Amino acid sequence: MNMQEPRKTLEYDVLVIGGGIAGGESAINLANLGYKVLLVEKDLSIGGKMILLSKVFPTLDCAACITTPKVSEIARHPNITIFTGTETRKITKKGEHRFEVDILQKPRYVHIEDCTGCQLCEEACPVSVTDEYQYGLVGRKAAFIPFSIASPRVAAIDIENCTLCGACERVCPTNCIDFTMTEEEFLVKVKAIVVATGFNLFDPLKIPRYGYGKFRNVLTSMQMERQLAPTRPFNTVLRPGDGKLPDNIAYVLCTGSRDKSVGNPICSQICCMYSIKQAQLLMGALPMADITIYYLHIRAFGKGFNEFYVQAQDMGVEFVKGKVGKITEKENGNLILRYEDVEAGTVQEAEHDMVVLSVGVLPNLGISDVFENEKLELDPFNFINQSDMLASPAKTSIEGVFVAGTASGPMDIPDSILSGGAASAETTSYLRRESL
Amino acid sequence: MAGGKVNDGPRILVFSTDKISDPAIDMAGLLKLHYPPTVYTISIPCSSAVKPRWILHALEQGFDGVFIAADGTDCPYGESCTEKTGQVVSTTMQMMKDKGMDPARLKMAAICSVCSEPFVNHVKSFSEYLRKSSNS
Amino acid sequence: MKKKIGVYICHCGGNISDYVDVEKVREAVKNEEGVFLAKTTMFACADSNQKEMVEDIRKEALDGVVVASCSPKLHLLTFRGVVERAGMNKYNYVHANIREQVSWAHSDNKPGATEKAIQVVKAAIAKVRHAEALEPIKVKSTKAVAVIGAGVAGMRAAIELAEAGAEVYLIEREYFVGGRTAQWDDLCITEETGKELVTRLYDEVMKHKHVTLFTGAELVDYSGSVGNFNLKVKVTPRYFKLQCSSDELQKAIEVCPVEVPDEFNFNITTRKAIYHNYPSEYPQLPAIDMKNCTRCGECEKVCSSVDFSQKTEMLNLKVGSILLATGFDPYEPKKGEFGYGEIDNVVTFPQFKRIVHYCDDKLMYKGKEIKHIAYIYCVGSRQVDGENKYCSRYCCTANIHTAITVKKKYKNIYNYHFNRGIRTYGKAEVWYDESSRLGDIYLQSFEDHPPVVEKRGDQTFVKIRDILTTDKELEVAADLVVLVTGMVPRADNSIGNLLKVPKGRDKFFNEIHMKLRPVETVIDGVTIAGASQGPKNIMESMNSALAAATKSFSLVDSGELALEPTVARVNEEACEWCGKCEEACPYSAFEKVEKNGKTIAKVNAAVCKGCGMCLPVCPENALDLIGLSDEDVESMIDALIPNA
Repeated sequence: MNMQEPRKTLEYDVLVIGGGIAGGESAINLANLGYKVLLVEKDLSIGGKMILLSKVFPTLDCAACITTPKVSEIARHPNITIFTGTETRKITKKGEHRFEVDILQKPRYVHIEDCTGCQLCEEACPVSVTDEYQYGLVGRKAAFIPFSIASPRVAAIDIENCTLCGACERVCPTNCIDFTMTEEEFLVKVKAIVVATGFNLFDPLKIPRYGYGKFRNVLTSMQMERQLAPTRPFNTVLRPGDGKLPDNIAYVLCTGSRDKSVGNPICSQICCMYSIKQAQLLMGALPMADITIYYLHIRAFGKGFNEFYVQAQDMGVEFVKGKVGKITEKENGNLILRYEDVEAGTVQEAEHDMVVLSVGVLPNLGISDVFENEKLELDPFNFINQSDMLASPAKTSIEGVFVAGTASGPMDIPDSILSGGAASAETTSYLRRESL
Repeated sequence: MAGGKVNDGPRILVFSTDKISDPAIDMAGLLKLHYPPTVYTISIPCSSAVKPRWILHALEQGFDGVFIAADGTDCPYGESCTEKTGQVVSTTMQMMKDKGMDPARLKMAAICSVCSEPFVNHVKSFSEYLRKSSNS
Repeated sequence: MKKKIGVYICHCGGNISDYVDVEKVREAVKNEEGVFLAKTTMFACADSNQKEMVEDIRKEALDGVVVASCSPKLHLLTFRGVVERAGMNKYNYVHANIREQVSWAHSDNKPGATEKAIQVVKAAIAKVRHAEALEPIKVKSTKAVAVIGAGVAGMRAAIELAEAGAEVYLIEREYFVGGRTAQWDDLCITEETGKELVTRLYDEVMKHKHVTLFTGAELVDYSGSVGNFNLKVKVTPRYFKLQCSSDELQKAIEVCPVEVPDEFNFNITTRKAIYHNYPSEYPQLPAIDMKNCTRCGECEKVCSSVDFSQKTEMLNLKVGSILLATGFDPYEPKKGEFGYGEIDNVVTFPQFKRIVHYCDDKLMYKGKEIKHIAYIYCVGSRQVDGENKYCSRYCCTANIHTAITVKKKYKNIYNYHFNRGIRTYGKAEVWYDESSRLGDIYLQSFEDHPPVVEKRGDQTFVKIRDILTTDKELEVAADLVVLVTGMVPRADNSIGNLLKVPKGRDKFFNEIHMKLRPVETVIDGVTIAGASQGPKNIMESMNSALAAATKSFSLVDSGELALEPTVARVNEEACEWCGKCEEACPYSAFEKVEKNGKTIAKVNAAVCKGCGMCLPVCPENALDLIGLSDEDVESMIDALIPNA
C-alpha cells in the first residue's frame, strides 16, 4: 500500500456539485464570465440522466445531440476543472465568500489523461456484471467504458467485481491501468457553491403489486428509454423475458408519484410527457404495436406539450383514465392489468405483453447532511428548499449556496436548464458583492 | 469481404449539413448501419447553400448522383431553408435537363439529426436506381 | 497555396485501423501536392500525439494540417487548439472524418473503406491547400442592456444585470411597474402577496444606481446589431409635477369628468382619466391618461401639480443587448362564451381575484352574497375549435389556490371545479389534494363536451356530462361563474414586429432551441424572458429572467464580441446589384452600396451568420462563403473522384 499523501488544497471561485444538465449549465455560464469552477460529479461521467435518454419531448430531438456538445464544451473549458467519481464529504462555511469543502475522489484505477478509450481492456476482461448505465438490461465488463458517449470517455475498473487477473493491464496500449491508485482527499476553498445534485428515480420494487423485479416484462420507463436510445443495447425494442418484439405495450403513470402510500404525495412533472414521448417513438419503432397509457390526469402543461399530447392521441395512442391496482403474469409472459376504469365506473382487466412503469422523481438525499455549521434547509418533500422562491429561485437557506435543477423539485429539461442559468446569475451577483 | 474490383458501385456525393444531417450520417456509422462506400460526404452549414454549379461539377467530373441531405424544418437558420433548398434542386434539375442529364441523378431528402436509418435507406435506394439506370 | 502540409492518420486504437489500412492511406497521400509529412498515429487525440504535432508544426514550419480521425464534432476543436498552441492560425487546420463515415460505416467492406478513406483524406488536403488564415470578426459592444417591460421578470432581470456590472435601461410602457403581479394578491406556494413582491423588486430597482427606469416609455425604432443597438424610446410624460399634495390630487380626481373602465381591476370598476395609483403600483405618482383626457382643464383648477406643458420626449439609447420581458394578456372570453358578457354573474378568473380583493367579511358581487362558485377551466386554452391549442400552465394551480383561500376566508363557500383534467403539476399537487379534502367538488368533461352555462329565471346553472360519474349529466346552481382564463400573447406586438422576433405555434415569442438556447432568439443580441415566451408561473418567469440576464450580460461583458469569420463575401467585380441576395438572407445582412461608380451588395459581417442561403441565388455567382469557395468545394469534389 502507498503511504497516504497529505491532502492537497485546491482553490476555485465556485464549486458546482453535480455534473448533470443543470450543473453543467451553471458551470459554463460562470466559466464564460471568467470564474474558475470546480465541477464534482460522483458518477464516472458527466451529463447526468439526460445523456442516457433517447429523444426528448416535445421536439423529439435526440438527447445525445444536445448533451454531447454541451458536455464537451464543459470538458474543454479552460475555466472548468472536472472531478468525476468524486464525493462531497463536508462543507464548512467560514464566512461570506469563504467555504471549505472536503472532497474524496475514488480511484478509477485508470489514468484518465492517458486512456484513449480503445476498449481493448473491455474485450480482455473476463468478468461480466450487470450494466447500471443500461439500467440492468444487459451486462458489462469489470473493466469498462461507462457508455459510448460518456465524458470522459475513458475506461474504469469496477474494483468490487474485478478479479485482479491483470488481463486488462496486459492489453492496454498506453499502460494507463494502475491498480495502485488509492482514494484521494482534497480540501477545496471556494467562494460560492451551486448544488445541482439532481434527483433519484422511484424504485418500483416498493410497489410489489406491480410485480417489477418478478415479472420480466415489467420494465421501468428508464429501461424503455435505454431501449429507445441511439446507444441502445439491442438495436430494437425487445421483451426482456423472451426477446420477442412486443406488440401491446401498457404504460402505468404515477408509479411512485401522487401516492401517499409510498410517501410521495407530489406530481413528478415529467412522467406524463416522457411516457407520451416514448409512446410516439414506439409507434415509429414498432408500427404494428398498440400502446395504452393508464393515467389519472395528463399533465401536458409546458410549451408545446399539450400539442404533443394531442398528436399522440391522433397517432392512435390509447389513453385510459384509471388507476392500475395490480399486475399479474400469465404463463406466456403476458401481463394482466387490473384497473379502475373511471369512465366506465367499473374495475376492468386488460392483457398486455409488456408493461412500462412510469416512475417518478424523488429527492436525491444526502447533500444537506454534508453541511457542517449551517443548515441547508429542505422542503416538506425533502428537496432543497428555495428560501425566496418567487424573487430569487436559486437561493437556499445558506447565503452563498445556490440550487440548480431538480435538486429543488421535479422539473423537465428546459426548466432545469433555465434554473441552471438562474443559479449562475445569482452566484455571479453574490461573487460580485465580494469585490465591491 | 467484397470481391472483384474495389468500389465499383455508383458514386454518390452527399451534401450534408454541419449541425443537422452530418451528425445523422455519423450516427449511421456509430450504429454500423452499412451503406455503399462509394457514398462521399461534403458537409456545409446549410443545405440551401448548395450552388447548382457544384452539383453539375460533381456530375460532370464523374459522380453518378448527388444527394442533398437537407436540414428540413430543423434548420437552425430558419424555416425558409426547406423552400430554398427545393429551389436549388429545381433550378439544378432544369439545368441538368438542358444538358441532357437525367434529373433523377439529383435527389434531396430532409435528414434530421438522428435520421440515420432513413439516410441509409435513401442512399441505398438511390444507389440502386443509379445502378439500374446506368445499365439500361 | 500551401507547400508544407502535415497529415496525421489515426488508428483510433483499431476503430479505424481494423477496417482501413491506414498505412496504405499514408502511402497514397504522402506525395500529394503540398504534403510535407504524412504520419500514422495510434491515437491522434492523445496527449503524446498532440505534443508531437506541436513540435512538427514548429520545427518544420508547417503551413497547413490535416488530421484524419473521428467525426469533427468530437475533435475539430481539439485539433484547432493544437495548431493554435503551435502558433498556427486555426483556420489552416482541416479535419477528415474516416471513422464514423468510413471505417464504421463500411466495416463490412475493408478494401472499400480503405479506398474511401484515401479519397476523403485527399479531399481534406485539397481543401487545406488553399485555406486562408482568418481572424474572428471583432465587434465592440456597449456594456449596457435595455430591458423591455418592468413586470416582475423585467425588474428581476434588470437588478441582476446591474449587479453583474451592466448599465441597465428598464423601459416600461405603462406609467406603473409590476405588470400582472401587481394586480394579484395572494401568490401560490409562498404566502407572499403580489404587492409585497413588487414592492421588494421596485425598491431594489430604485436603489441600484446602474438601473434607469423609464415609465410611459416605448421602444419605437432601432438600428444596429448585437453589441451596438441604437434605440429610440418615446417617453410620454405623466403631466404631473413630482411634488403633489394628496388633498389636491383627490380633488382633481373628483372633478375629472372622464370615466373609463379600470384595466387594473380588469374592468370590473371604472377610473378617471387621472390615474389614482394602487398601493401595489410604483412609482407612487399619479398620471393623466391622455388617450381619454378631454383637456377640459377642471383638474388644473384644483390641483397645482397638474402640468399640461410637459412634452413627449424622444430618447436615444445605446445598448449591446435587448432583453424582452413584455409579459402576457389574460384571455378575454368572447361575448357569449360560457355566458360571458351576457349573464351578469359570469366573470373571468383575474376579475374574480380583484372581487375577492375588495370583499371583507362577506364575498359579494353586484350586491349579492356569493356561496356557490362554479369554476370553468381551460377557457381560452386547449381550444378544440379556436387557435389556442396550448395549455396555459399556471391556471389550474392558481385557481385552486384561490378557491382554497376563498373557502378559508368566507363562511359557507361551495366550490365546484368544472375541469378537463387538473394539471397541478409538481409540488402544486398538494393544493389539489387540500382542496379535495376541504370538500371541493371536481367535475370533469372531455374536450368535445364542454360545460354549458345557462340562465333560467334569476338563477345561473352550469351543466356538465361528468366522466367521473360515468358520464352522468350534472347541474350546479351557481351564484358566481368564474371562467378560468389562460394566458395569451400581448395583443400589442409592436415590439416583436419592430425587432422581428419570431413567434412559435402558440404566437408567443420563440426561442432558438428550447434546450440548447432557451432564452435567445434568432435575432442576435435579443433575449426573451418570462411569459412573453409562453405561459409561466412567477418562479418559472424568474428563472427565465435570470437566465436571460446571464445571456445578455455575456454578450456585453467584455466590451467586445468575437464572431466566426466564415461569412459571406461579395466578388465586387462580378456583382451587379439585383437584390436577390438581400431577399434570400434571413438576417438582413446585405446592404446596397455605391462603390467605384457601381451599385453592389455589401455584407455586414457582424450580422451574417454564414449560412450560405444567399450563395445559389446570385445570378452572377458573385457570392462565396469564406472557407467554402467554389474552389474549395470543387477541388474537394475532384479529389473525391479516384484517379482511374
